[in-house]
Amino acid sequence: MTDAAAIHDRFRERGFIVDEAFATALQIMLALEKPLLIEGPAGVGKTESAKVLAEVLGTELIRLQCYEGLDAMAALYEWNYPRQMLHARLSEAEGSSLDEREAYMFSEKFLLKRPLLDAITRDRSPVLLVDEVDRADEAFEAFLLEVLAEWQVTIPELGTIRARHKPHVILTSNRTRELSDALRRRCLFVWIPYPSLAQEIEILHARVPGLSERLAQQIVQVMQALRALPLHKAPGVAESLDWALALISLHREHLDAPTLERTLGCVLKVHEDRGVMQAHHAALDPILGDVPANLESGGYSLDTDFGFGSVSAPRR
Amino acid sequence: MYPFASLPENLAAFCAALRREDGFRIGPGELHDAARALDVVDLANERAVRHALRPILAGSADDVTVFDDAFTRFFFPGPAGVPQDQLPVTRREPGTDADGRDSDAERARHAPRWGADADDVSGRGSGPMIPIESSEGLEEPTIFAPSSYSPLDANASAAPELPRIEQAWCDAARLFVRRLHLGLSRRWRPASRGRRFDLRRTLRAGLQTGGEPLSARWLRRPRHAPRIVLLVDGSRSMSAYTRTALTIAVAVASATMRVEVFTFSTRLQRVTVDVRRAAAGELRRLDYLHHAWAGGTTIGACLRDFLRRFGERMVGRNTVVMIASDGLDVGVPDMLRDAMRELHRRSAGVVWLNPLLETKGYEPTAAGMSAARPHVTTFTSVSDQAGLARLSRMVRLRA
Repeated sequence: MTDAAAIHDRFRERGFIVDEAFATALQIMLALEKPLLIEGPAGVGKTESAKVLAEVLGTELIRLQCYEGLDAMAALYEWNYPRQMLHARLSEAEGSSLDEREAYMFSEKFLLKRPLLDAITRDRSPVLLVDEVDRADEAFEAFLLEVLAEWQVTIPELGTIRARHKPHVILTSNRTRELSDALRRRCLFVWIPYPSLAQEIEILHARVPGLSERLAQQIVQVMQALRALPLHKAPGVAESLDWALALISLHREHLDAPTLERTLGCVLKVHEDRGVMQAHHAALDPILGDVPANLESGGYSLDTDFGFGSVSAPRR
Repeated sequence: MYPFASLPENLAAFCAALRREDGFRIGPGELHDAARALDVVDLANERAVRHALRPILAGSADDVTVFDDAFTRFFFPGPAGVPQDQLPVTRREPGTDADGRDSDAERARHAPRWGADADDVSGRGSGPMIPIESSEGLEEPTIFAPSSYSPLDANASAAPELPRIEQAWCDAARLFVRRLHLGLSRRWRPASRGRRFDLRRTLRAGLQTGGEPLSARWLRRPRHAPRIVLLVDGSRSMSAYTRTALTIAVAVASATMRVEVFTFSTRLQRVTVDVRRAAAGELRRLDYLHHAWAGGTTIGACLRDFLRRFGERMVGRNTVVMIASDGLDVGVPDMLRDAMRELHRRSAGVVWLNPLLETKGYEPTAAGMSAARPHVTTFTSVSDQAGLARLSRMVRLRA
């Protein structure tokens, strides 16, 4: 798996469509053994890409979900104190020397490995996913930098543990705050934008089997039009997939205004966005209104009477 | 043709151009990585090379587009569509360093631009900020009144300098920041007195007393550190107050690093870096804000612009948004109302500093102000150090 085209194909087999830029970034990341920082709008598959990468490499995925208040103990290691105390009490009667007992108490048996330590002690390079790194606070970011730079962890009682195999690290960020320049410098950076029309159709077909070509086309066109609107929360690819599944489970062959109205909850997650969409319905009308033009076979003439505008008009 | 004969030289020259013209921060480490990356990809494929260099040299989302333009400009310095071997030969011998650098920059400047916004982009790194010392004799930093007025017109000579601040302001700002209570963090920190028993540290401390845990250790949740976003109105009606507002900005920047400062009138401008440097004692003038100073104001459009471009990153549950403006808006009140509602929804609190409040009998009845008023948690004015220190007691925060 050395060039971008191979990466693209292997990802595709697993239903994940990567564009050329992202595939090359993954290739560089594997070749240079550097962490890859992925940014992009919500729902474009940042986290998913790490999972697929682990599958493609045939290795394990270790996930560190960041949250506010995440500290070194939760990310790195912790001694299992209750167990240590229990053993100390139970072994008091034994005749072993103090040194022996101490060495036993602070052996790996009593060490609780958290994701970062776990990742560097594996026999094969795992994929380490540091998810939503912007949610952790700055202090944790500095600590993470240290681990990413040195690939070693020092445990006072046990000594320094060096990585036997460097993990493949993927960091994702939703840009809820600025990441430090130092972290950016340590990482390769790739921005995943919303997919293009053709790409998104490809994604839908790859992930939702049994989706008709026309429905896929319509879903993606509506999505692309929606993303151009000034919404509070623009729908991502995840929303497209949800929506496609919803429409299939409702046995819809194509998209019309009433269906859109009913299944809008799959797409728009903020109440005010409904209003924004209705104010801009001119952008969506052609997609929903063009149904008879695209459809040579006919049989859907009833639906065409309900143009998007005619339904939304009485609401306003 | 490429400027230099060999690959490493071209790569180094490209990195130097990015550093010089676009303000990229590329060190030897990045250069090394870039060279290694080129080992991996197909050099005959222009797109592959571009995609390989981008993750290494471009560090943020904004850098990505700049990088693409710079890449085209450097490696394909001709009109679009002309194959490279038909371009005039510009190859130079290495070693003509000083000379070569000049003509390199010259070429970049005169090369026909076909990128849609190549002009905007190329000015980015050269630093439009001019330290005051170097602009001697150009103009006096005095504010003069032009004889004509247009709500959307502005005057460059009204650019204010960022004030040097007195210690009293710094103290007041520190007090202000310290007193902003935003509730407790989810994180547990060691503390001499706390609410949770720290077994790990207690046992560790017990080693000193022969294994018996004699002194207990505790954990406590630290307070949330507030983030502050300050939006300063630079319009003409505000000219008397702008200096005070900028003083507050510099003072707050000296008290905390978690501050972002913007100025706006008809457009929005991020001035955080300049304010931070001013807080460090450098004398700076906000020179490049020629559109922003002493024109009219479209507050709603600017706030919406702010939310669109920076809202996600800068406004969160720990953010206190401070707007210094008189609320005299030439834009649409609806837009202002929507933007204010959004700011209020996302932030911990919205403070509006209105200098007109000092005027006796002032009522916030102007269209813009009355549209914004329901979404402002604290409506007040600050004119001196004591006012800033007092402000923290008045700010109502959702914590």
